[in-house]
Amino acid sequence: MRTANLFDRLGRRQLVVVTGKGGVGKSTLTAVIGRQLAARGRATLMVEVDPRESLHHLLDVPPSGGEVVEVAPRLALQHIEARRLLDDLVREKLKVGPLVRKVLSSPIHQHFTEGAPGLKETAVFGRILRLLQGHVPRGVRRPDVVVLDAPATGHGMSWLMAPRLISEVIQTGPVGHMASEIAALMASRENFGVVAVTIAEEMPVQETLELIHGLNERLDRQPDAVVVNALYPHLTGDEDRGDPASSMWIHRRTINDRELDRLGRDWKGPVVELPLLPLDPGPQLIGALAHHAEAVGGHA
Amino acid sequence: MSDPRRRKLVIVVGSGGVGKTTLAAALGLESARSGRNALVMTFDPSLRLKDALGVDRVAAEEETEVAAGTAGTLHASLLDARTTFDRLIERYAPDPESRRRILENRFYDHLSGNLAGVLEYMASERLFEVADSANYDRIILDTPPTRQALDFLGAPDRIVSFLDSGALRIALKPWFDPSGKLKATAKLGVIGRNVEGFFDRMVGLELLRDMAEFFQAFGPLYDGFRERALDVQRLLRSSETMFVLVSGPGRQRVADTLFFARRLTESGYNLGPVITNRIHPNFDDPISRKATVEGAAHDGRQLLAWLGQRDRQGVGELRSLLGDSHPLVELPLLPDEPNDLVSLGRLGGMISERLDDALAR
Repeated sequence: MRTANLFDRLGRRQLVVVTGKGGVGKSTLTAVIGRQLAARGRATLMVEVDPRESLHHLLDVPPSGGEVVEVAPRLALQHIEARRLLDDLVREKLKVGPLVRKVLSSPIHQHFTEGAPGLKETAVFGRILRLLQGHVPRGVRRPDVVVLDAPATGHGMSWLMAPRLISEVIQTGPVGHMASEIAALMASRENFGVVAVTIAEEMPVQETLELIHGLNERLDRQPDAVVVNALYPHLTGDEDRGDPASSMWIHRRTINDRELDRLGRDWKGPVVELPLLPLDPGPQLIGALAHHAEAVGGHA
Repeated sequence: MSDPRRRKLVIVVGSGGVGKTTLAAALGLESARSGRNALVMTFDPSLRLKDALGVDRVAAEEETEVAAGTAGTLHASLLDARTTFDRLIERYAPDPESRRRILENRFYDHLSGNLAGVLEYMASERLFEVADSANYDRIILDTPPTRQALDFLGAPDRIVSFLDSGALRIALKPWFDPSGKLKATAKLGVIGRNVEGFFDRMVGLELLRDMAEFFQAFGPLYDGFRERALDVQRLLRSSETMFVLVSGPGRQRVADTLFFARRLTESGYNLGPVITNRIHPNFDDPISRKATVEGAAHDGRQLLAWLGQRDRQGVGELRSLLGDSHPLVELPLLPDEPNDLVSLGRLGGMISERLDDALAR
């Protein structure tokens, strides 16, 4: 059965979190999704939080360094550092210069913001929420949708859980209010979506199944789609098994098929299959993958 | 000099998804074959690797012997933050009442499971525990699957800096009177009142109260923590310890690998060999030679030719940038990820052989 294509399905979301194990192509998919949502006329902002920026490489623009960088009409990216947001919050609320310095240099502030579970994640979501509500720097367009390139799965789940956790623990004050606002956005099936990225190998598929399970158990949610990246070409059946290259191809694709099957047994939702392409990370790769993702749509 | 087989502790580091866990297991098995009593400490191994090593939930509690039939013994243990944390509390809590207070505090759950850096710290803590024991003469530690693998190394430093920062002294102050109201904090002066008032406005009193209680419950444990964190720091930088850096193939990985290598050596750690793992082979045949982007979409042979070429360039670049500073060991992409003792043994043998070659260069 074929369902609507991935980007149509994400068409009305305000926040899309792209998550998955390290090295499977999360940033690549963030760029692909951003590009295609922008192409559909939505002002799209891609946000990355990993201390080492990588989206700009893929899109061939200068690194963000915290600023909004224009990539194409309606498409921008921004690197957000949680630490800096929390410091900004202190500045905004305390106002008095010496006090601000005192708090920022206080080990309590540093350890509290570093250590309090969920605080940094909530701060990032809080900033995203503000951007969606139109609190944007002068000259920057309010995004219709934000695509977040989330850290690797284990941490990905804690990212998705953070606002709820914080809103349970902190009920008053600006942090508490913000956390419950975010938790409300993330509870909306209309406005919030998750895309899980994986490759068809044992460990990544295992982690994806665990992520799906965790989302279901703890947030009562399902991903909008599972994207299976970097697949070897389909076999034709005419391959010469005696030829070393063919034999390796057969072998890799057989593993791909086995893991796609395993994924399909436990996940009945949409799966988007993308090929492994002979292209280095960059705009050409993003364009080619976007083309494939549009063409395959998604099947369920 | 750069031979990890001469060290007691070998720490395998690298980005997520490069095959650290499998290599750590193979290194452990190879050590046992050469007559050492080896222990592999690992995070999150795949199901089949767990089967191969015979590691299950029990291994989270204690080291489990692997029936490898080797000259030396091979043990495996699975690292789990929560179990290790629980054990520490068992050990350091002075009485059942403090233990109960810690375990029941709602922060404990989040801190032991979610707190970034705790798993990393606990790994090094556990490492120290076993390094102290006379049961092993070779310990291979697989590090957590994070992109920020450096978090792992920084964890003991962070704990020490936290304990020395004075944050704890303040956290341990009796902030609340028995009725749960915030006590007058006149002693802290204007600044203190403002800082505290700020936290109150920001997060609410209830949270502060919970945190204060958590820290107070932990109070008696800190002395033990600090001492052990310092010990772990020393152990990680000692001459008994060597790091092995694993990287993926391909040009796009080179910058990451060099960054990591530089950070390790700058921080005073003893980095030995760099292993580039899963290098695609070079198939020199007529089809590979005329590979195109369009062709590779349908023909796996052309795709593999491109990958082989990409990896060869990546390895070449890495080799020239590393120079003589660290031996570079190249490992091929194997048809199947090793997941039983036979294939792990073969991989271990291959690493040893290639390491010999790299060291002889």
